[in-house]
Amino acid sequence: MAVPIRPDDDAHAQAEELLPWYSTGQLDETDRALVEKHLASCVACQRELRFDHRMVDELQSLDPQVESGWSRLRGRIAQDDRGTSRMPALSGAWRILRQPAVATLAAAQLAFVVIAGGVFLTLSRPDYQTLGGSVQPAAGNVIVIFRADATQKDILDALHASGASLVGGPTTADAYLLRVSPERRAAALASLQADDDVQMAQPIDEARP
Amino acid sequence: MEAQIDRREGPQVKSAGTASRPRTNAARPSRPEESGLLDRVSARDVHAFEELYRIYQPRLARFLNNLVSRPQIVEEVLDDTMMAVWQTAGSFRGASKPSTWIFAIAYRKALKARARWPEPVAEPVVDTRVSDEPAPDDGLHHQHLHDALLGAMEGLSPDHRAVVDLTYFHSLGYREIAEIMGCPVDTVKTRMFHARRRLKDALGGGLDDWL
Repeated sequence: MAVPIRPDDDAHAQAEELLPWYSTGQLDETDRALVEKHLASCVACQRELRFDHRMVDELQSLDPQVESGWSRLRGRIAQDDRGTSRMPALSGAWRILRQPAVATLAAAQLAFVVIAGGVFLTLSRPDYQTLGGSVQPAAGNVIVIFRADATQKDILDALHASGASLVGGPTTADAYLLRVSPERRAAALASLQADDDVQMAQPIDEARP
Repeated sequence: MEAQIDRREGPQVKSAGTASRPRTNAARPSRPEESGLLDRVSARDVHAFEELYRIYQPRLARFLNNLVSRPQIVEEVLDDTMMAVWQTAGSFRGASKPSTWIFAIAYRKALKARARWPEPVAEPVVDTRVSDEPAPDDGLHHQHLHDALLGAMEGLSPDHRAVVDLTYFHSLGYREIAEIMGCPVDTVKTRMFHARRRLKDALGGGLDDWL
């Protein structure tokens, strides 16, 4: 037979699960009032709160190695600056990519463009070409949007992991056009869509039977 | 310096002799100045970036230690996180606190690192529960309790450990933690509930002394 839940039990459970954040002063007014009302009459929760306070005290020790870490990272920044100055085209594209853009708007814009069927025609003729203008660029077959905080390294990692190559972009919606071989199409899409740094990856061609 | 100021408004209730008090932490929620630092970082101001790094390096090192066990991977993920901050600070639009944004980047990178380098198989969990028998020496007894607690922390899953540390050490609210870890707030509360139970179990008969 099921035991009916009493209002007091419910209040106790709610207050108890909020105690850790009450102990650190991180509750909003509503939550805090709920906890305080219950705490005044609940010996068990008062004891729980003492446990939370002790946990805060116990978890304070840390041995940061700030100096050596900063020295190491300073070297990477210098490399990053040299790297971007050697790659003006990429650097310029990167600055465009980094301009604030509302992600949902970008995604919505991309979805609209894909549905309208115009994206392929637009992106298969990228505004910039590299390594010789006479070479016809490969046609892209996947469109991707990376997260706004994805770095160049994150993007390169995603491309390497999926086996995709960059064909064009970024568009005004911060989308890139990629090329994956038809044989690897499904695996590459799966890899991109599973990547935490990828916000959206969609094919823009027909899957081969 | 951040370590000298605590602007949090803590709960004031006193109940049956238990005064709730916000604890003084080495790390605290983001302050408005951190948004200013991010603005300067987006303009590639190295001095601002160094200041931000010195604020976040200890916090991230500690956070990442809970998620990946190999020190060299912690170091690599921490550096990659701060490089992401350096390169993408312009994309921070203030929808969340700077700390939430930075910790979320670190969490995603830690998950990717764990996928690339799976954690070594854990040793069988040693029973570190504290005996009910009184210890001959008080200091030694406290050390046993401390060790038992650390052992229990090690025994938690990385995600449970991260929630415990983000709550007690980094003083983040459950909504921020949910945002960082990309999960519902109820999941955060549930993880914390089970983690606390495990930690208390580890203290066993010594819990009363510990409190």
